[in-house]
Amino acid sequence: MGEKMAVKKRSDFKKYFQFFWRSWNIQASWNYERQMNMGFLYGIAPTLDELYPDESDPVQRQHKQEAYERHMAFYNCTPQTSAFTLGLAASMEEQYALDRENFNPDTINAVKTSLMGPLSGVGDSFFQGTVRIIAFGLGISLAQQGSILGPILAIILSFIPAWFVTWYGGKLGYTMGSKYLTKLQGGGLMDQLMYVCGIVGLMVVGAMVASMVGITTPIAFESTGLVLQDVVDSILPQAISLLVTLGMLALIRRKVPTGWLLVICIVGGIVVNALGILV
Amino acid sequence: MLGVSIILGLIGVVCILDSRILGRLNMERPLFTCTLVGLALGDLPTGLLVGASLELMSLGIVNIGAAAPPDMNMAAIITCAFAILTDATMETALALAVPIAVLGQMIGVVVRTLLANLTHVADRAIEQGRFDRAWQMHIVWGTLFYSLMYFIPIFLAVYMGTDMVQSIVSVVPAWFTDGLNLGSKFLTAYGIALLLSTMLNKELTVFFVLGFFLVGYLGLNITAIAIFAVIIAVVLSGLKFRTAAGPGALAGDGLDDYDPLEDDL
Repeated sequence: MGEKMAVKKRSDFKKYFQFFWRSWNIQASWNYERQMNMGFLYGIAPTLDELYPDESDPVQRQHKQEAYERHMAFYNCTPQTSAFTLGLAASMEEQYALDRENFNPDTINAVKTSLMGPLSGVGDSFFQGTVRIIAFGLGISLAQQGSILGPILAIILSFIPAWFVTWYGGKLGYTMGSKYLTKLQGGGLMDQLMYVCGIVGLMVVGAMVASMVGITTPIAFESTGLVLQDVVDSILPQAISLLVTLGMLALIRRKVPTGWLLVICIVGGIVVNALGILV
Repeated sequence: MLGVSIILGLIGVVCILDSRILGRLNMERPLFTCTLVGLALGDLPTGLLVGASLELMSLGIVNIGAAAPPDMNMAAIITCAFAILTDATMETALALAVPIAVLGQMIGVVVRTLLANLTHVADRAIEQGRFDRAWQMHIVWGTLFYSLMYFIPIFLAVYMGTDMVQSIVSVVPAWFTDGLNLGSKFLTAYGIALLLSTMLNKELTVFFVLGFFLVGYLGLNITAIAIFAVIIAVVLSGLKFRTAAGPGALAGDGLDDYDPLEDDL
């Protein structure tokens, strides 16, 4: 079929740009039924249109319809890492169009489905769990000093890794495909990345507890002139903030529902404050 | 007020479209949206301050996964607007904005159900060979519905709510606002704890403690902590992964119980 194509091919740059941009907008129609199905279809549509350009030919039209239907299946993945899957699926569709006899199209969706779990896991913990925490940890501390550099820095730090992963992810998926993924997983590179991210993320969060919660106690004993907060500060500054945070963590671990925790925070704040225990 | 409400509604559109069509560059977060609100309403310092506080509280809330948490992103825009347009303190404004955001979240459920129906429209379009119509459901209609999902509640809240908020604020007693102030610190602790619950595992707990003590005792700032953390992490991972014999030796290193966040929304 390949030699019949009269429609001009996309340049590689345009192809990569489409993987990139259409991965970023994959959530535009996120829905309860099949989540990012239409987003993935939108991502791969240019590839399919290029492979089956002639709708007046009933065979091509049939093939195109099958391909469109195939990519309406359930899909869900972190947008940035999803570019890898999109590139890979596009290269598989191209192989399938060239060699329909020896290629089972079910493998395309099987690969998509098997990639979305691990890529979401890595993608979400990297972008939401690490990049965001560092970027916004820095951003908040600058904004609290009244500097507009805070939000700007937070966005720039969020943008760079997102751009990098999406752009090269799509390119890698398309050019190297499944080979590269096995290499990544087998070499322990993922584990190493997760380890580094875990350490940096947790140290920044620990620093936030000490610098941003700021709960203190007004308790003082007039008879002895003892101010409780001074005692706390001399032993371990910000100890109360740490205790409250760990208390919240214990409640979360006990699966106390979010709604209740929000009520506990607000009502607890009013009551504890009125009793003069904490400020 | 009409113009102001429209501008704030459009900031809401930026906020929702960040995760819809920009892959979530974190422009949806309170720190950024409140800065925009501050700029739009001509009170940047308040915008920055409210943004930083709300960002801290919602740090642990990530809008991914099918479960819908309280929509702090929407609440942040409305809170910041109330804090600037009325005499309300940030804490009071937040208490008033949260019910609106809960309502907004319900609209979100409706929108996502509606979009499930658009999936069926796209299915039928493919059957009929109208291929372009299928992907237009995604990029045109999906984008439009999500934009409205933020624009309408924010517009209405600011347009109709500001006077009401002003009259409520004038009768709120001091013990109540002081209490809300402490409550907002509890919320900050809760936000950080929520984050910790997804990150913390036995092997790495010591690094959380280290970060806390470096600030508590030495008074370092977050930038310094981030830089030291990267250095420590790189050195340690070099040691750890060089001595490992191969992929098999990584099995017991405690990363297995790392709890990745849920699916995307």
